[in-house]
Amino acid sequence: MADPRRYFDEIELGEEYESPGRTVTEADIVMFAGLSGDYNVLHTDAEFMKTTAFGERIAHGLLCLAIQSGLFTRATAPYATLGFGGLRWKFKVPVKIGDTIKLKAKVVEKKDLDKPDRGQITLDRTIVNQHGEVVQQGQTDLIVQKRP
Amino acid sequence: MTTGTLTYFEDIVVDKIQETPAITVTEAHVAMYDGLTRDLSLAGGGVPDVLALCMVIGLGWRVKDPPMVVQAFVGLDWKVMKELRVGDTMHSRSRIISKRALRDGGLVVDERTILDQHDEIVQQGKFTFLVAKRQKEAS
Repeated sequence: MADPRRYFDEIELGEEYESPGRTVTEADIVMFAGLSGDYNVLHTDAEFMKTTAFGERIAHGLLCLAIQSGLFTRATAPYATLGFGGLRWKFKVPVKIGDTIKLKAKVVEKKDLDKPDRGQITLDRTIVNQHGEVVQQGQTDLIVQKRP
Repeated sequence: MTTGTLTYFEDIVVDKIQETPAITVTEAHVAMYDGLTRDLSLAGGGVPDVLALCMVIGLGWRVKDPPMVVQAFVGLDWKVMKELRVGDTMHSRSRIISKRALRDGGLVVDERTILDQHDEIVQQGKFTFLVAKRQKEAS
């Protein structure tokens, strides 16, 4: 079967992707609290959150960061990714239960690395909600294999 | 000094270092993470790097000091140095590197380091939190 993955050489500067939407549910937040161990009241105490400016529980920032990482795999053919180099990220607007988020991404930098079999691809990433508001934004560095 | 059951902006001490307990990363964590996010893991027993980042936030609440009154997670700047494998045991170290008062709270920059069972650095970076003040300033 042909390898469906896209290698470093084939990914071009300026490529843009948009993912399908995904509705963030209470179940997502509860599962993420269990998985991460982050039970902060912001995400788990509905009564306390009624007394705050948010008015209700909000999704963990890192839950939405992790969801966008999954949405990326649905936005384009898979990269031949070897690993994740790092990220620079801002959390701008809270995501509430029932909000629908999607990812917009653009390739903004490609560079060779010391090891000749791989390169680094930097993507600008923006998560928007159903109102078109930017909820999170940043850059991620992916280590991608070159075509063997 | 920290007293009571919560740590407010005023209580936070710059340069204070705290260590968390450790957690062994299992196949179950990876499977749950894949199902929750569809951020499909790499073949061959690698742990998704973002999963380790998510778990370090949870570990961060398990230190001796009472929990910080975090009002918002503002941002992060993060580097991955080494791949974590299923069966590895990670813990984290945090150091407050700066705090800056705002009118109704303050920004706290917390440098977090994930270490494995060999005490090798796996991931490292800075989290910026908005933390509540104990006393609101008179308006």
